[in-house]
Amino acid sequence: MQAFEHPDVIIQALAERNYVADEELATALFLLLKLQKPLLLEGPPGVGKTETALVLSELLDTELIRLQCYEGLDVNAAVYEWNYQKQLLSIKLQEGSDRSIQEKEKHIFNHDYLLKRPLLQSITAETKSPVLLIDELDRSDEEFEAYLLELLSAFQVSIPEMGTLKATHKPYVVLTSNRTRELSDALKRRCLYHWIDYPDLAKEMAIVKKRLPDIEPQLLEQVVAFVQKFRLLKLSKMPGVSETIDWAESLMALGYREVNDRAFEQTLGSILKSAEDIRQVRSEGIGAFS
Amino acid sequence: MKKQAFETKSITESIVAFSQFARSHGLNVGIQETQDALQSVSGALLTNAALFKNALKTIFCASPEDRRLFDRLFVLFWETNPTDLVVRKNKTTVQGAVEKKANPSIVMLGRGKTDEDAEAGKNVSGANETERLKTTDFSKIGEIDADPLETIARKLFKEMAVRLRRRRKETRRNGPINLRRTIRRSLSYGGEPIDLFRKAHRPKKQRLIVLLDVSGSMDKYSFYLLRFVCALREHFRQLEAFVFSTSLIRISKLLQPNRLELVLTTISRQADNWSGGTKIGACLETFAEQYGKQTLNGSPIVLILSDGLDTGDPNLVGEALFKIQKRAKKVIWLNPLKGMKGYEPLAGGMQAALPWIDVFQSAHNLESLLELENILSDA
Repeated sequence: MQAFEHPDVIIQALAERNYVADEELATALFLLLKLQKPLLLEGPPGVGKTETALVLSELLDTELIRLQCYEGLDVNAAVYEWNYQKQLLSIKLQEGSDRSIQEKEKHIFNHDYLLKRPLLQSITAETKSPVLLIDELDRSDEEFEAYLLELLSAFQVSIPEMGTLKATHKPYVVLTSNRTRELSDALKRRCLYHWIDYPDLAKEMAIVKKRLPDIEPQLLEQVVAFVQKFRLLKLSKMPGVSETIDWAESLMALGYREVNDRAFEQTLGSILKSAEDIRQVRSEGIGAFS
Repeated sequence: MKKQAFETKSITESIVAFSQFARSHGLNVGIQETQDALQSVSGALLTNAALFKNALKTIFCASPEDRRLFDRLFVLFWETNPTDLVVRKNKTTVQGAVEKKANPSIVMLGRGKTDEDAEAGKNVSGANETERLKTTDFSKIGEIDADPLETIARKLFKEMAVRLRRRRKETRRNGPINLRRTIRRSLSYGGEPIDLFRKAHRPKKQRLIVLLDVSGSMDKYSFYLLRFVCALREHFRQLEAFVFSTSLIRISKLLQPNRLELVLTTISRQADNWSGGTKIGACLETFAEQYGKQTLNGSPIVLILSDGLDTGDPNLVGEALFKIQKRAKKVIWLNPLKGMKGYEPLAGGMQAALPWIDVFQSAHNLESLLELENILSDA
């Protein structure tokens, strides 16, 4: 692994992988690598939180293990599960053998019968530290969040039947949240924190340009300027950077080299995702080309 | 007064001093954070001011609000010159701390007593007495009845919270099979799953959002309602509470039974909340806009405690409530006035709100509040 001695090196390396990072984010990543502490990324949807973890794993040339959170996510789905079918078969096979029940029990609760789910995978990596992405943590329940505490501070998982498994290689953990609910203080204290906001005009243009290198300069400028204007309105669903890219891509796919009335009408749906928002943008007169 | 950067001799000392400075100004910075900071700032991070700041920010902050505060503190600490000191000294006061001496006289019913006092007061109240108090309108309670009523209220609310919890526990019979335990037990039967274990139904955590009107017209009721909200919190751990009159304040974090007095003093310090008219519409609007994304998800129950007497634009109430109702499982409006004989919801705001309300109930005495238990328990 390449050593990252300075946040600027990270900015550079990320730029090579088509990710535009500012100094603050780069510093946060730098500290994540240096202190080996989890990094909590918060911000509105579509500003590249998840992408950060993806690109980080590319940067470190390591495996990305992803856990998508949802309401009702439990330990069985996130950490481990016993392979019940295999266990049943094994019990059947051992029928009649003179092993004691304790021995049999020990046998069926061992590594061979364990199904690893993302969190367990992340601490049992064999060769090098993986990147563990815990996505949209705010969607999970509080119980699960509490469960994470052990993993995030000690990098270990306790399995009642087996004991505690310690990480062989500490994973680099990135957590993301959209702030639909406040995360607990206990969790926050174990993490570094960075807030990613919507980018400004110049940065957003740089991002779109990176993603769509073939875009016409005029189209690029118009698209980003519009999106920036949309964000000033009180829309029910704010367009994120990913929507900007989608929009620019749709316009390019339709062969437009600049945004005009027709293009605007045809493609508005790829940037604004609710009828009220579209109505509001129209009534504000944005996009009237005369 | 904590030290400033210029008073320290080494970078290590400065960073430790800054941690203390940040902590005393409301950032949640502990020893771990200080350690992390010391460990991380070396080499490149020390020579570049912007990088240095970013690094500390990443370590010390935990929310966008923290980040804004951090920016101010950073400037204050690192960029203050000794010559500014005299002027600045008075400016930095500790944020968020509530001074005890704030005048509690505007607190509802002027009841600024500690819990012990109330407890030691009248524990004895006969059955009839309890029944009478349960049905007495809060607004008609005199000084003599106030103490026993509070005792009873606390007891009944507590019982209610316990009942609400217990109701969940008893329905744990027919969950899905717990394979793990079943297999483990089946070992002794040679693999035949004879004893079936079942997983308990995970009690569904219903979320509750309470919006309490504390305007002048609600004065007589708010104290009991606030206590009621506290009791609800026992059951609804994910309770979000707000008070409003002309503006909206979030009180979720303040809400602990032994800190009620503090809540009251804090609220009453915002004097405009107690006089002046109520702007229900504007407050609901603020709620939907500012806190909607954070709190109105997973279809919570929204409980509004207000008399519906609105001095703002009544249409606004309807519009805002429509937005809230769309994202809530149920909107419950408790109106103390509804307990009065012959009351009709004619007030402008109330009228506009009615179409978006699922349950419209009174909340003028203990009995009516306790009825809510049934509505909430099958939620």
